[in-house]
Amino acid sequence: MFGELIRQKSFGVSVAIFIMLLLAPSFLPRFYIYLMAVIFVTALLAMSLNLCVGHGMLFQFHHGVFYGVGAYTAGLLLVKTSLPWWIALIAGPLAAAFAGLLIGMFCIRLNRLYFGMLQISLGSLIWAIAFRWYDLTGGDDGIHGIPVPDFIASTTGSYFFVLIVTVICLLLMFLILKSPFGSTLQAIRDNPERCAAVGINVRHHQLITIVIATFFGGVAGILFVVVEGSIFPDLLFWTLSLEIFIMCLLGGWFTFAGPILGAAIIVSLRTFVGTYTEYWTLILGVILILLIFFLPEGIMGTNYRQLFRSRVKYNGEYQTE
Amino acid sequence: MEGGAGITLAALSSTFLVGLSRAMILFIVTSGLSFVLGVLRVPNVAHGSLYMIGAFAAYSISTLFGGGSLGFWLALIFAPLVVALISLIAERTLFCHLYQREHLMLLLFTFALMLILGDLTKIVWGADYRSIMPPPVLQGSVSVFGSPFPKYNLFLLIIGPLVAVGLWLFSTKTKIGKIARAAAVDMEMVGAIGINVSWVFAFAFVLGCLLAGLGGALVSPTISVTIGMDHNIIIEAFLIVTIGGLGNMWGALIGSLIFGITQSFGVLLWPQFAIIFPYLAVVIILTLKPTGMLKAVW
Amino acid sequence: MLRIKNLHKAFDDFKAVDGAHLSVDKGQLVAVIGPNGAGKTTLFNLICGQLQPDKGQILLADEDIGKLPPHVICRKGIARSFQIANIFPRLSVFRNVQVSVLSQQKLSNKLFHPAAQLAVDETNHILDSVGLLDKKRDLAGSLSHGDKRILEIAIAMGNEPELLILDEPTAGMSPEETTTTMALIQRLAADQGLTILFCEHDMEVVFGVAQSIMVMQQGKTIVQDDPLTVRQNIEVQQAYLGDE
Repeated sequence: MFGELIRQKSFGVSVAIFIMLLLAPSFLPRFYIYLMAVIFVTALLAMSLNLCVGHGMLFQFHHGVFYGVGAYTAGLLLVKTSLPWWIALIAGPLAAAFAGLLIGMFCIRLNRLYFGMLQISLGSLIWAIAFRWYDLTGGDDGIHGIPVPDFIASTTGSYFFVLIVTVICLLLMFLILKSPFGSTLQAIRDNPERCAAVGINVRHHQLITIVIATFFGGVAGILFVVVEGSIFPDLLFWTLSLEIFIMCLLGGWFTFAGPILGAAIIVSLRTFVGTYTEYWTLILGVILILLIFFLPEGIMGTNYRQLFRSRVKYNGEYQTE
Repeated sequence: MEGGAGITLAALSSTFLVGLSRAMILFIVTSGLSFVLGVLRVPNVAHGSLYMIGAFAAYSISTLFGGGSLGFWLALIFAPLVVALISLIAERTLFCHLYQREHLMLLLFTFALMLILGDLTKIVWGADYRSIMPPPVLQGSVSVFGSPFPKYNLFLLIIGPLVAVGLWLFSTKTKIGKIARAAAVDMEMVGAIGINVSWVFAFAFVLGCLLAGLGGALVSPTISVTIGMDHNIIIEAFLIVTIGGLGNMWGALIGSLIFGITQSFGVLLWPQFAIIFPYLAVVIILTLKPTGMLKAVW
Repeated sequence: MLRIKNLHKAFDDFKAVDGAHLSVDKGQLVAVIGPNGAGKTTLFNLICGQLQPDKGQILLADEDIGKLPPHVICRKGIARSFQIANIFPRLSVFRNVQVSVLSQQKLSNKLFHPAAQLAVDETNHILDSVGLLDKKRDLAGSLSHGDKRILEIAIAMGNEPELLILDEPTAGMSPEETTTTMALIQRLAADQGLTILFCEHDMEVVFGVAQSIMVMQQGKTIVQDDPLTVRQNIEVQQAYLGDE
């Protein structure tokens, strides 16, 4: 099962990066360790979205909701109950996947844009509940100072925890994409009608994809709780969902690792540019426009094509509608 | 307050009327969104931002003319035009180059526009709360079943149907309206009979945005105008066009009525969760009819 | 094995299929001919479940498959190609065919097992039989038009169909490519004992190949018979009604 991994050309580089990241806390200042943990969480979230968007061509416009559901489930269980911490952390992704199943069953009946619109609608319903139910969720303030076990409470502890969980999730996603399931999903992305004609139950396949993607989105949610120790309704707000959509696009939505790069760029920009100007969203908007006009396949997607242009003459002949 | 004894007829009727007048604003905004959806097949995410700019522009124009009656009426005319101008510039400089591209890119462009316009609004008008007085003739209230009802809301109840009728006449009686309607059904055919599709798109986009601006100008005397009002309206508008049927003008009207009225009754029944009621209505409607109440144009 | 009785399908006011009859026996090579717009593609879409008929029956071994979704019909042994090259442009040629082989072997939902090791021999065998083996690593979107059409057929072959339906397999091909493709179709039918139903608007391509020909016009079945009789029939019609 792991043979596929080792055969990858980028396997050596990935292992080297992983070892570097394991050693990072010993030489980097605390702020950067924290920042990298945030990047990992966001990268995992973007990767999970890209299962739907880049590999499945499902217009999952409100993926942030599942991130939020994961975070809220874990956060509320940690604060309001005396259940052991690990149950809370397992419950988060499961709740997210369940929400994904419910919302997915609604949306999957519809095509593309309608799918996306309906998901924004249903997701906003969950947001509204979290936003208004002061007694349970703390309303728009959210809940802060969520207790996590000591070994993951420190900056370094949470860094290692987030790093390990993220890497495990990325490995799983990689294997899923290389499996017959993932292969079929990519075929559905390219041509759902043809897939149905070769005997694939397209809707069923897409629904499973949504459940898997929302599960990993929920994992990102619990990691957020571990890193930040707080939950608030912005996690469920649709602007965040569109922001991670941009990350997938920026990095390269038809590539495997593109969303990681996209997340790293956006999070770093927000952190560093945000200290100079309060008009961060203006800059994000300009980045997005530049992306649409000049790099519609994202950074990694574009490089790939330029590199192999002589060998692969892809003529762009594929339809989205 | 009426007290906990029960909900009186007066409270019910005024709640209904408040909901109805809210629905009129929603209709004007969502009819624009629906129009763009119908012709361009793109949910214009920036629609809410243009609504917000409409409200801010109305504030500035009305302040410029001393905040009185004249200022208000001029604001009502010129604020939508300012918004239309902004959307025309965005459309002709950038958006129109994307029509040949993947559909998703159009959607993302409108999102980029939302991000940019949101911050530009903050730069121009700042983060303060602004308020506008309605003109003296629309100030105060009238009595409906013994409870006071603001005159301005009554004014909205007149404007809403006027806009609906105007749009209906426009799309059925004028040539360009007919072209836009045909484009909503079959864009290729419109291109085939020699009409410049790009300009049809531009026109539809600008008209849709103009309606957003009009909605913003109309709403400005009833709320405090501030940054962030774009985010709330756009979700409501999305929900409304989804339950109404994408791109269907009458669907937008029905959706707005459902939304406005459930919202105001929500406030009456359970203020803390008033926001939930319209969402619940949406979920119920979509469970029964996944593609909305009326036929989507595509 | 396939019987179609009095099939109707209308889009709003336009009657695309308006009384079609067809019978396909096991092992036969059956052609549907007729001018553009006669309803050939609509008929195929009805058989394969992309569309649902308004009226009439589509019987596959006495079971009415008219209301079934495409993927269920496919699992009953009917595979098809499309008129416009309907492939997976971002996947390699090998993976294009592998998708349908995996589907046939009910492996499509398998997680955590590398797809690269599954159904390899079957896929290679199909690619070999249609002559695309040397291009298996190319992106499908980069193939020439003719090769895309062949790939279409190869994808359909992955389902090990009993009945293979080809919608204008030679559309847009040069005369040379047309000859090669028709030879390929004949060879597949002979080697694998396939039943093939295909349509063409070019009658001359058909007469040399098909064992039975159904003629469609304006959604109606005019006649179905062996090539010789059909040819006479058409000539008789043309003699009386004039060439349209």
